Amino acid sequence: MSKDNDKNKDDEATDINENTDANDTVEKIGVYICHCGGNISDHVDVEKVAESVKNIPGVTKVHTNSFMCSDPGQELIEKDIKSGSINRVVVASCAPSLHESTFRGAIKRADMNPFLYDHANIREQVSWVHDGEPATAKASILVKSSIEKARGLKALDVLKVDAKKHVLIVGGGIAGMRSGLDLAKQGFEVAILEKSPFLGGQASKLSRLAPSYEYAKDLIVELYTQLSKQNKVTFYTCAEMSSFKGYIGNFDVTLTREPSDAVKSKSKGEFVENRGIFIDNIPKETEEIAITIGAVVMATGFKTYEPAEDEFGFNKLEPVTTLEQFIQDYKKAETKKGILYLNNKKIKRIAFIHCVGSRQIPGIHEPDKNGNLNEYCSRTCCSSTLQAAERIKTTCPNTDVFDFYRDIRTYGRFQEDIYDSASEKGVMFFRFEPDAQPEVTENKNGKFPISIKTKDVLTFNEEIEVDVDLVVLVTGIIPNDISSMINMMKLPVGTDKFLQEVHPKLRPVEVANTGILLAGTCQAPMDITESCAAAQAASVKATALLYKGFVELDPFVAQVDTELCKGHGECLKVCPVDNTIEIDKVAKVNPALCTGCGICTAVCPENAIDVMGWSLKQYEKMVDAILAA
Amino acid sequence: MATQDKEKKDAKIIILATEACAYPGANSVGQAHSSYPANTYILRVRAPVLFPEDFYIDCFKKGCGGIIVMSCGEECPYDGAYHALAKRLDNVYKMMKEKEIEIKRLRLTAICTVCNRAFLKEVNQMNTLVKELGPPVLKEN
Amino acid sequence: MNSRKKLNFDTVVIGGGIAGLQTAIDLGDQGFKVAIIEKDATIGGTMIRLSKVFPTLDCASCITTPKMSEAAHHDNITLFTMCTLNALDKESNKVTASITQQPRYLDPDKCIGCRQCEYNCPVYVLDEEQGDLTLRKAAYIPFSNAIPQLALIDVENCSLCGKCAKVCPTDAIDYFQEPEDFIIEARTAVVTTGFNMTPADQKKEYGQGKIENVITALQMERILAPHGPYMRALRPSDGKEPESIAFIQCAGSRDKSLGVSYCSRVCCMYAIKQCMLLSGSLPLADLTIYYMDIRAFGKGYEQFYQNAKAMGIEFVKSKIASISQGADQSVALKYEAQEEGGKLATREHDLVVLSLGIVPEWDPTGICDIAKDTDQFIQCKMPKIAPTITSIEGMFTAGVASGPKDIVDTIAESGAAAMEAGNYMKHYH
Repeated sequence: MSKDNDKNKDDEATDINENTDANDTVEKIGVYICHCGGNISDHVDVEKVAESVKNIPGVTKVHTNSFMCSDPGQELIEKDIKSGSINRVVVASCAPSLHESTFRGAIKRADMNPFLYDHANIREQVSWVHDGEPATAKASILVKSSIEKARGLKALDVLKVDAKKHVLIVGGGIAGMRSGLDLAKQGFEVAILEKSPFLGGQASKLSRLAPSYEYAKDLIVELYTQLSKQNKVTFYTCAEMSSFKGYIGNFDVTLTREPSDAVKSKSKGEFVENRGIFIDNIPKETEEIAITIGAVVMATGFKTYEPAEDEFGFNKLEPVTTLEQFIQDYKKAETKKGILYLNNKKIKRIAFIHCVGSRQIPGIHEPDKNGNLNEYCSRTCCSSTLQAAERIKTTCPNTDVFDFYRDIRTYGRFQEDIYDSASEKGVMFFRFEPDAQPEVTENKNGKFPISIKTKDVLTFNEEIEVDVDLVVLVTGIIPNDISSMINMMKLPVGTDKFLQEVHPKLRPVEVANTGILLAGTCQAPMDITESCAAAQAASVKATALLYKGFVELDPFVAQVDTELCKGHGECLKVCPVDNTIEIDKVAKVNPALCTGCGICTAVCPENAIDVMGWSLKQYEKMVDAILAA
Repeated sequence: MATQDKEKKDAKIIILATEACAYPGANSVGQAHSSYPANTYILRVRAPVLFPEDFYIDCFKKGCGGIIVMSCGEECPYDGAYHALAKRLDNVYKMMKEKEIEIKRLRLTAICTVCNRAFLKEVNQMNTLVKELGPPVLKEN
Repeated sequence: MNSRKKLNFDTVVIGGGIAGLQTAIDLGDQGFKVAIIEKDATIGGTMIRLSKVFPTLDCASCITTPKMSEAAHHDNITLFTMCTLNALDKESNKVTASITQQPRYLDPDKCIGCRQCEYNCPVYVLDEEQGDLTLRKAAYIPFSNAIPQLALIDVENCSLCGKCAKVCPTDAIDYFQEPEDFIIEARTAVVTTGFNMTPADQKKEYGQGKIENVITALQMERILAPHGPYMRALRPSDGKEPESIAFIQCAGSRDKSLGVSYCSRVCCMYAIKQCMLLSGSLPLADLTIYYMDIRAFGKGYEQFYQNAKAMGIEFVKSKIASISQGADQSVALKYEAQEEGGKLATREHDLVVLSLGIVPEWDPTGICDIAKDTDQFIQCKMPKIAPTITSIEGMFTAGVASGPKDIVDTIAESGAAAMEAGNYMKHYH
């Protein structure tokens, strides 16, 4: 069968030899020009190109070949290296994305540093787009400019930075526990930082979960049971982060633990309703703990939106509550004659109002006191509301349930079934437009204490009025306040106030500072399934970073010529990554933090800092070769 | 063929194309076999923010007819680099004005991996311009 | 011929779409050896065939290509394209995948992807990669950023004229190539088989695919893609620039009569995205989305939806009762008109897009004992705290194979599957 990777891929992970060619000061450049079976040679006179470069000083070998990527083609290079005729390689063929790694492999096989090689793209950028004499002329110039680049190339080594196999998980909710468990199973040391004395986070307040009807408590207990079997997990409860510095592989973190007056009569590992698993090691006095870790998983979670004073009657009318409170009350609910009793009060009619504190629209909704609007959808509330409504209708069929919504978003697997079931069981739905929100008022004389008025889109804007015993405001998700960590760790925050990933698809659980990962609802609203998936995605990234005990980094980072550097510090001023550059008489670059963007190169008044492998000096030589021709 | 000679001598265009976006974009044009003027020389760069102001001016001094910086735009993989680049080019434009180089000879644009049409448009526009203007004449201060 | 070669890997990943690629990369990055089995001639799955992706409007190619090439160049990952999975079994800690690789009718070690065969092939057939809206050759590379860059010959349509063999500079063409059977033994498997769209011709009320200028959302993706069939937004029947385009949501989802009672989760967002892209290429066109609920639930999605509304895209809350051919090849939609108190009204559009739903691409029946759930997607044994664990120990799943999901959620879940598989191999072997 055929494998479809790069042909001739070097399967052995060859270590790059240290400066093999450092002493080989005279450049001996081998140039290999490909016909590509006519793809290049039909439009470019390949022999003429070869002719045009063979007398350039330093060029010791020039070959043309029908297919440089074939085994015989690669062997040409290997042979020339082994015989000592060349110590730099220029290949002129197709786009480097196709065969750069092929030729690097060949060079490695011949025991030469694979970075002493440059690639001229004379197919995609010459023979396939130009024709005749101009094509040949351009190909010659590109090969010449590649030769000039190759002349200045230096052997590069993949950078290795020692990394601690120790991960700090910030937050002991579902996502933090999930990630901690994954990493503990990898054999890493795991430190779970949690501000309360409990594990389980917000999920501890939930009851049965949509759509599977599992108890949230069971999931928390399951994760905790598995976690407590792992021997390298430390729970730092009642703790907050007090300092943070370092870089991938070696972060120095201080945690401060404070005494707490939480329930002490509980035993370790016991689940306390609405609070989580009690971890019985509350400190007697303030403690400071310093740990060094290789990576951090942020699992700081969310809190629920607190409605503003009198938003839908909240805090003003007694029978107005939030979904979070309702779920807790409902755990102790009773049923008499098919009617729901909550806190000993008969609930003959109950209404849910969706999107309270979510999907807010500028110009329609009131910003909070800080001027914030939560424009996003909180994602989980439709399903949890419908499940609550469906449960009520199942256990208390004589209680009427009214659901005021904008869009029903039962998007997830089996969630639509809850919606269907709620409809079948008689939940009454009313749809409102954001600019005509339901009005919740006191109903002084009626049978029911509360009256809700709205224009129902489902019945083509009919004005309706419903009287109820209880209104449940379906409040959304907002991120926990972690501003001190955001400042300490320099975490990026989006306009929605959640932590911001580098890119939702390319690097969805990473932030720009390498070694810090995102798990769960600190990043965006998610349900438990999605939080766990995100947490595991963060775990796998942490594993890949640390499992070898060292981190391998691209060698393409800034390097300072200490002879030239005068310590002006212009590089430090422009560097986008904190602590990458240090000035101690001369500039010093931390290669573990440098991304190799080269912004420093452009501003150095002494031309003393350049990016390895992609240096400005090489570009200048290339441009000279191009413009001189 | 005097005109052709002139073209060949006078009208080289340097393109700085980012490794992540514009360089594969240029390859995509190749795969489509869409032809464009051969006086264009594409340099594969990681982030064009590497190049100082003088690099651009020196190119013009050496007779380069035009420079197109094909970046990744807002999708730049390097933190803050795109905005720094835009600022850098503002400085270059100022220097070009001082030296009386037509500022149209330098263009900043974003090209993605499959932006064939955008690539061709940029290259053709710059080529027309460079033909019209001829080689740059610098005013030495 | 069928000497069954046996290959050993740590993990076999079934499906080379974005889920499979991400899973393989995340496993390969942990040091595991991974095989990706892909049925098509290229990896990349549905994602590489899309135009731009919500909510960032990045071009799909720019996001998928780096992952495709990362997998292709990865020291620990081996790609097998054109492969049919005959059986996937788990016995005593070992996963065995029995595979047939279909012939490309050329030697992949010789092919240099130059497309000379394609340029010289005289046979034109409908191009499925372009939603059947244009033609391709019988010898071809599926599309410009396909990986591997290898041609194949579509024997069903090949006229055996021999031209490709004549022009091939490497003598790669081999008309007598046979399918090849082989076996992969691995410690774990990850099922990332992705999805298919619900059939466009299923619903009687929607014309069963017989009405002109009613296209599927994937066809619209191609029309909007940079290398699309028309290179601009036109309607298929007459090449006219449509002045009014409508999207019909839930055309294949949330519909018990079609056996798809669930929400397909991505259609709201892709319809909004397509409208945004259309408003760029056809600034004067009227764009309408007929919907039941707009489900813009992900990060940045609601804001995306509100932007679309602010741009003037019309959202009509109504289920479409029926579709018929209107005047001048237009499409007539019958719907409950809000403004007329719910009476049935008719509106005509130049082009109508069916936002079809999602069904599983792969049915394990007869191939693998992995359990399906009632929705026919792969069953998740612990959907909450370990969403990638299936009914078979050592087999995991990620992405749309276990239910509709957008790209963001698929990528996260792929990482999760790689974590579970990695930990499984660490502990049970």
